[in-house]
Amino acid sequence: MISDGGSSRSEYAVTTHGLSKRYGRQPALDGVDLRVPDGAVYVLVGANGAGKSTLFKVLMNLERPDAGTAEVFGLDTGRFGPEVRAGIGYVPERQDAPHRAMTCARLLQHASTFYPEWDHAYADHLVRALAVQPQRRVGGLSKGETRRVQLVLALAYRPPLLLLDEPTDGLDPVVRRRALGLLAEHLADTQATVLVSTHHITELESLADHVGVLRDGRLVAQMPRDELQHSVKSYQLEVPDGWEAPPEFQPTGLRRATAGRVVQCTLVGEEREVMQRLAASGAVVRGVIPLSLEDSALAFLPEDPS
Amino acid sequence: MLVTIDPRDERPLYLQIIDQVRRALLEGTLRAEDPLPSVRELAGQLVVNPRTVSQAYGELEREGLIYVRRGQGTFVSSSIAPDRRARRALVRGVAERALVEARRNGLGVEELVSMIWEVAAEETAKKSHSTKPAGREDEEGVA
Repeated sequence: MISDGGSSRSEYAVTTHGLSKRYGRQPALDGVDLRVPDGAVYVLVGANGAGKSTLFKVLMNLERPDAGTAEVFGLDTGRFGPEVRAGIGYVPERQDAPHRAMTCARLLQHASTFYPEWDHAYADHLVRALAVQPQRRVGGLSKGETRRVQLVLALAYRPPLLLLDEPTDGLDPVVRRRALGLLAEHLADTQATVLVSTHHITELESLADHVGVLRDGRLVAQMPRDELQHSVKSYQLEVPDGWEAPPEFQPTGLRRATAGRVVQCTLVGEEREVMQRLAASGAVVRGVIPLSLEDSALAFLPEDPS
Repeated sequence: MLVTIDPRDERPLYLQIIDQVRRALLEGTLRAEDPLPSVRELAGQLVVNPRTVSQAYGELEREGLIYVRRGQGTFVSSSIAPDRRARRALVRGVAERALVEARRNGLGVEELVSMIWEVAAEETAKKSHSTKPAGREDEEGVA
């Protein structure tokens, strides 16, 4: 599938093959085949507990998978853990800072010694832009303050891959926007690949160019952002009494709202083909509405009937 | 030049950026040899993927509206004159958006167009009605 064309770098920055991981009986990852194109901003969407953080930890080799493999820039994460980690800027979901007694300035100084590419001037710029207070102790920081320090730590050496696990969690709206603006500038400077998980797809909508949806540990959708928005649309239908959606649309469990004789439902598929199937089922299509990135992704996460 | 993005506008972001540059050229807020913000600046300011900005600039460059001076940045072409083509493209964008909105509401093109005329006529009537008293007041003031 991968055609390298003789180039030294693969077209994917991150790949996993049949990655599985369980905690007790609970599967956290179930046969995940992730493909993050080199240079992409890949947004990973999923409910809490869908496996996003576990996936990040496996890529960092902080967790061992039960089955399957993961590669970052062609290196097996299990065998080359330290090498892989050296090329990743990681913002973890949990904030268990190991250097609680250090000041932020000391922590950044400490981190800089690990990375030959650490750019002090850039780190200072990020510290100012994110209003990190250098003399505060790491252990006394709030959730949002910790996040800001983590962002400086992840960006300051311009690693080729950023793994950002809910990077704006705990940030107030103003800082959130500034952090994402800094990320956009960072991308203009570095062409880094970004794998980012979020609950707030909307805030990443203008940055995303690839989307993956995790549901109960399974990667149920993975495609370029344009393709996702092209293939998921909302259809307004006028239907005869007792109408049922064509069976091929039902497994995706798509949302449906009814008002009078009009049914509105979100369907996955090429628009013309979907229209033909709907017509064959007796429905008259009154309108087709494109969806936001968030709503397109949500189409793959059916509401829990519970 | 101030570029803003309308989150309710469903067209791809790069088209929105292109339209705003075109509009600034038509309005004259952006003139020959003016510098444009760098890809980095605009990406950071709008919080969009830098590739989106590059795509917009690339398209504008192909149209000859802007050019890149190596190492110095992106500038408005010197030959830029109030261009009928640019104006057409801008009108087209507005029309496309209106059509999308009309279709969404189950309305036809003719209904939409005739209502645009109707509303425009009403607004013109309102305006001439409201400016007359204002004019009279002025005359009184002078007298």
